[in-house]
Amino acid sequence: MTQTLQKVDHSALKTNQIIIISLNILAFILNLPILAAFVALMMGIGSALKIPGFGFVYKNLLKPRGWMKPDILDDNPEPHRFSQILGFVFMSAGSIALFLGASTLGWGLVWLVVALAALNAFGGFCVGCAVYYWLVRLNLPGFTKEPPAGTFPGMKPRVGASR
Amino acid sequence: MSAEILLRFGLAIVIIGLGVFAYWLINQRLLVRASNNVFTLFKKLPNKPVLIYFTTPDCVPCKTVQRPAIDRILNLLGEKLQVIEIDATEHPDLAKTWGVMSVPTTFLLDARGEARFVNNGVARAEKLLEQIQTL
Repeated sequence: MTQTLQKVDHSALKTNQIIIISLNILAFILNLPILAAFVALMMGIGSALKIPGFGFVYKNLLKPRGWMKPDILDDNPEPHRFSQILGFVFMSAGSIALFLGASTLGWGLVWLVVALAALNAFGGFCVGCAVYYWLVRLNLPGFTKEPPAGTFPGMKPRVGASR
Repeated sequence: MSAEILLRFGLAIVIIGLGVFAYWLINQRLLVRASNNVFTLFKKLPNKPVLIYFTTPDCVPCKTVQRPAIDRILNLLGEKLQVIEIDATEHPDLAKTWGVMSVPTTFLLDARGEARFVNNGVARAEKLLEQIQTL
């Protein structure tokens, strides 16, 4: 099977993840469900626009000033979008739980998003992407992309990977 | 209010600490794996510290940060350190064997061939030097 990979800037994804982690931890420390809801909202907007929710920070601030270098890899953007949608769902559920007073459940979901974002940002493993590729195997409609050649589903692709 | 924030801050630190511990465990596993695979790179140990540097031709942070950092260390240490650069696209088998998931990744081996440090992502010259000094 052949498929065309696209250029995906993993620095934009990483910036997005680090901001999500930071804001969520801050929300927890300051006990600010509204901040968690803001993160959920940004992830929702990002999902709708098919861009990383906080990608504008990278695009308008970090990249132009050279504070972060692009890390452009041949990859499928769809699993990353799916991953953000999953994050949005968890964050929304967490925020709703927090506003309804179920703080253990709410903060638990927020920390789950923190853990998954950290695994992606620092470990190079995208759980949402792995779920996406798993759904491809189940032939679910709309899930069509295969992992780049030689890349374990969910892992950050190595440069030059193609299929 | 401040007591609550302090408590939550403490909790956050504990949770992050657990995450860091899990990451440390994974790195330890990587080091054991690397130590077991030293002879995929050498027939005979060079009897000096070795820096194994996994990179790829299009890796921008490798070119802009990692390679200059390694060059700086080589200028400082000269023959006291051996650097082996591996292109993960040319040698995907080696990258797989060593458990390399992203580039740049650097491993530091001591003179006995034991993998002592692994850096996932960019490792600055100061950090590498600090690690080499403990070998």
